[in-house]
Amino acid sequence: MPITRRRFLKGSAAAAAAGATTRLHHIPAFAQSGPLRIGVLAAKAGVLAPVGESGLRGVQYATDRINAGGGIAGRKVELIVEEESSPKDTVERFRKLALSDKVDVVTGAISTGVGLALGPAAEEMKTIWLAWDATTQKGVEESMPKPKYSFRSTDNECEAVMASILTARHWKGAFRTVAGINPDYSYGRDNWAAFLAIMKKHGIDVQVVSELWPKLGATDFTSHVAALAQAKPDLIFSCFWAGDTPIFLKQAHAAGLTRGTKLVLTTGGGVHEALKKDFTPEGAILGYNCFYFENPKASALAKEFTRWHQDKYKEWPNYESDHGYFTLAAYKAAVERAAKAAGGKWPSTDQIIAALEGVEAESLSGPRRYREDHIMEATFYQGLTTHKNRHDFVTIDPVEAMTTKQIQKPSGVGLYDWINSWKA
Amino acid sequence: MTTRLLGAAAVAMLLLLPLAGRPYTTTLVLPAFGYGIALLGLNLLFGYTGLLSFGHALFLALGAYTTAVLTTRAGVRHLELLIPAAAVVAAAVAVPVGLLCVRYVKIYFGMLTLAFGMLFYSFLYKFYTLTGGDEGLRVLRPFLMGRSLDQMDAVAFLTGPYYFYALALLAAAVLLMWRIVASPFGLALRSIRENPVKAEALGVDVRRYRFVAFVLAAVFGGGGGVLLVIPTGLADPQLSYWTHSGNLVFMLLLGGFDSFLGPVAGALVFILLQDAVMSVTPYWRFVFGAILAVVVVFVPRGLLGLLAPPPRALV
Amino acid sequence: MAAGLQLVFGVQRILNLACGSFYALGAYAGVSAVQWALRLGLPRPLFLLALLAAGVALAALGPLIERLLRTIYDRDESFQLLLTFALVLMLEDVIRFVWGTAPQQLGNVYLAYGQLRVGALTVPTYNLVVIACAAGIALGMGYLLTRTRFGRIVVATAENREMAAAMGIDMSGVYARVFTLGVALGTVGGALVIPATAAMNEMGIEVIVEAFAVVVIGGLGSMRGAFVGALVVGVLKAVAIATWPEGEMLVIYVIVIAVLVLRPAGLFARATA
Repeated sequence: MPITRRRFLKGSAAAAAAGATTRLHHIPAFAQSGPLRIGVLAAKAGVLAPVGESGLRGVQYATDRINAGGGIAGRKVELIVEEESSPKDTVERFRKLALSDKVDVVTGAISTGVGLALGPAAEEMKTIWLAWDATTQKGVEESMPKPKYSFRSTDNECEAVMASILTARHWKGAFRTVAGINPDYSYGRDNWAAFLAIMKKHGIDVQVVSELWPKLGATDFTSHVAALAQAKPDLIFSCFWAGDTPIFLKQAHAAGLTRGTKLVLTTGGGVHEALKKDFTPEGAILGYNCFYFENPKASALAKEFTRWHQDKYKEWPNYESDHGYFTLAAYKAAVERAAKAAGGKWPSTDQIIAALEGVEAESLSGPRRYREDHIMEATFYQGLTTHKNRHDFVTIDPVEAMTTKQIQKPSGVGLYDWINSWKA
Repeated sequence: MTTRLLGAAAVAMLLLLPLAGRPYTTTLVLPAFGYGIALLGLNLLFGYTGLLSFGHALFLALGAYTTAVLTTRAGVRHLELLIPAAAVVAAAVAVPVGLLCVRYVKIYFGMLTLAFGMLFYSFLYKFYTLTGGDEGLRVLRPFLMGRSLDQMDAVAFLTGPYYFYALALLAAAVLLMWRIVASPFGLALRSIRENPVKAEALGVDVRRYRFVAFVLAAVFGGGGGVLLVIPTGLADPQLSYWTHSGNLVFMLLLGGFDSFLGPVAGALVFILLQDAVMSVTPYWRFVFGAILAVVVVFVPRGLLGLLAPPPRALV
Repeated sequence: MAAGLQLVFGVQRILNLACGSFYALGAYAGVSAVQWALRLGLPRPLFLLALLAAGVALAALGPLIERLLRTIYDRDESFQLLLTFALVLMLEDVIRFVWGTAPQQLGNVYLAYGQLRVGALTVPTYNLVVIACAAGIALGMGYLLTRTRFGRIVVATAENREMAAAMGIDMSGVYARVFTLGVALGTVGGALVIPATAAMNEMGIEVIVEAFAVVVIGGLGSMRGAFVGALVVGVLKAVAIATWPEGEMLVIYVIVIAVLVLRPAGLFARATA
């Protein structure tokens, strides 16, 4: 259902009910300085659209709760939503938010190209930018070595790292030949390379029998499936995350490929509702990035959010909502911490940035924080698929959780150097 | 007379914008300069020669990536060098592409140019070690008139020196195109558009003229691409996608391909309109599609066409 | 869908950029139609009927849009191209508005027809059904154009518009029907394909490139060309995936350029360019 796009100000939100736990130590005078304006860059078209929408929902949920609890340090939050599209257009939208709408902070952005362009733009506009995604190696290393205003999400390779560790743990010795089918762009390439590196590190001698690179968002894999069937791999690795995931599984299943071949789907959990039991086998490693909707150890917050999401959108939430939610929760925590430190005044941008570094906040999936180098720390959830649930799509059981301390390279280290340094 | 007044008013507004207007609006208008230059080229091809290219964005992308490669990999930062370099690259690509495409007319031409634009898009995606793939290539701030302005605050740079420099380049491009169009070459092009058979009979080598027009259009496209990409700071494959070419044609139509300054006007109006509409509705594509439809059906000569009298038949 | 493109171009000289969007519409509508029908109790093997019904029903849009295009028939062809581009933009948002942004798919319904072993490969029978349908439509079109009165009028109009009008043929009626048929080919194509894949955002914009490649290879204006062109593209793409996967994205353009350099008018082009 269309989400009102522009100004989004909710006084007392419906979602507020279960008690927002904000402790306000602040001088009410802040409320008179008007609402806090938060710019949102959410993708609305193309293959990114479902993910962008998901992130936006997380942000809106956070905003509802924050405002119900009195706002951030007494000031209500007002959202100004713009569209994330091509890098050029998105940079222009960012400028509009910063210069024309004079927002206090911008949250959003998922695509790698946009992420790369927004980094310098944020520095130029001197506006804090909290990204939802788009954290490639290049983005972190090359263009923004010491960012001041940009705060990034978790590394794109985390999912592959965790899936690879799980692969080694569950299946070491049980497979020899592998095939990769990954989208043909940086994300696909980086994840596949990480997988191979980790297999090597674990001493698993793999033989790559097929490497396929369909276009991101392709809708037909008949030829790919045929190529895979001919190559007969023991294991298939794929970091598909969009609508291509169920299509591939469907067509693979129709060709008999899902029987007897081990599957590693690092990010398929993002479209989990589309992974119907009809064609998704049990026993596959499936990753849900940072949010798994049926985590038995979920917090009350997570459970409430999941319920809210299902009621409102008739869909189960995915990880991007959590990324979106966290950016707001982190901002709130940082601002309030800085405000306290600043005594009676509203904190400056520099003070907020200082407070953001190392800030910890509760996200929908558990505690998260921003490292001092502006990269997120979070918990990732993956597991083996099962059909034993009350849905028509697969879920995972048991749910394995790993934090970024285990699967994300620390600051200042290259990915492969870090992998090589592991004690096997 | 009204056109002159309006024109003068527009120029005055453009000159005063950075001083009197909001910084955001000033930065918003910057791409219009790049588009304006590129569209002058497209208009040469369509308005004057009658060939509608649906792949013009290819040359914009070429200009953009040339700038990116030169500023980041070759250390060339002078804008005075970047623009000619982009022009040369665009021309170099236009030669083989043009030779192939001008064999055809109308629809074939449109489809072929679309295909080439998409080919470059795929190339940019595929050869990522060279082009950065989906992540694109960074574009560093150029030196203007030999001076490095790296230390300058970005907004100040964009609304100050860069704005006026780009505006000056646009003016230069307009003058250059004016000379081309008024020359015998330009007249020959128009005769080809009106009646290719007759032109051929009169001794005009139709195909050669079309080819030259194509290359010239490419050169302008490349130059426009340079200006387009500097405010963004990144050259990415989306620049070459066919819908970007479609937008170029849209701008051209909006401004009016019949008039000389139509393209420039079209670029400005499109940018401002897009900003306004995007702020109002998430379904802005629908609105834009509707606007385009209205323009095609009811106002085919574009906005400037509304102002100017219909062109006299070619004598 | 390429057949629809060819038909509309051949007769009306309109290159319909929106044919991809009709394809997408057919896809989305097909998903909805089948889901709805199944929920109402339609037995699974009959889902194909629901699909075809959706595709055909959408063809009702044809006359409406044709009416719009009619306003510019006498203008330069480029305008027609632009108008269809406007349609592309609008239809994208219409689809987004009606169906949202999440991909739509039909689960495993298509396996209701079972699978076949073809050599070492297991192939869902549905895929063969689609091929059969495509062949059927191709043959049907062939019959329509050569044997029926309507068909012959269509061909005559394509060959020589002025003559046909002079002979008293109702041009606007012909045009309306031809365009609708073109749209139907697109929507039915989209609907038929969907059970095996999924309908995704912006699929209309992406598929147009392949459609153009098919048309250029087969030769503009030729129905046989559409069929052969599609086969060529499909086969070459499959070969590329099997032998040189890295080149998958580029293969189609290489073919297009090769064909254009070697045989400029395509494989089956007509004399009238």
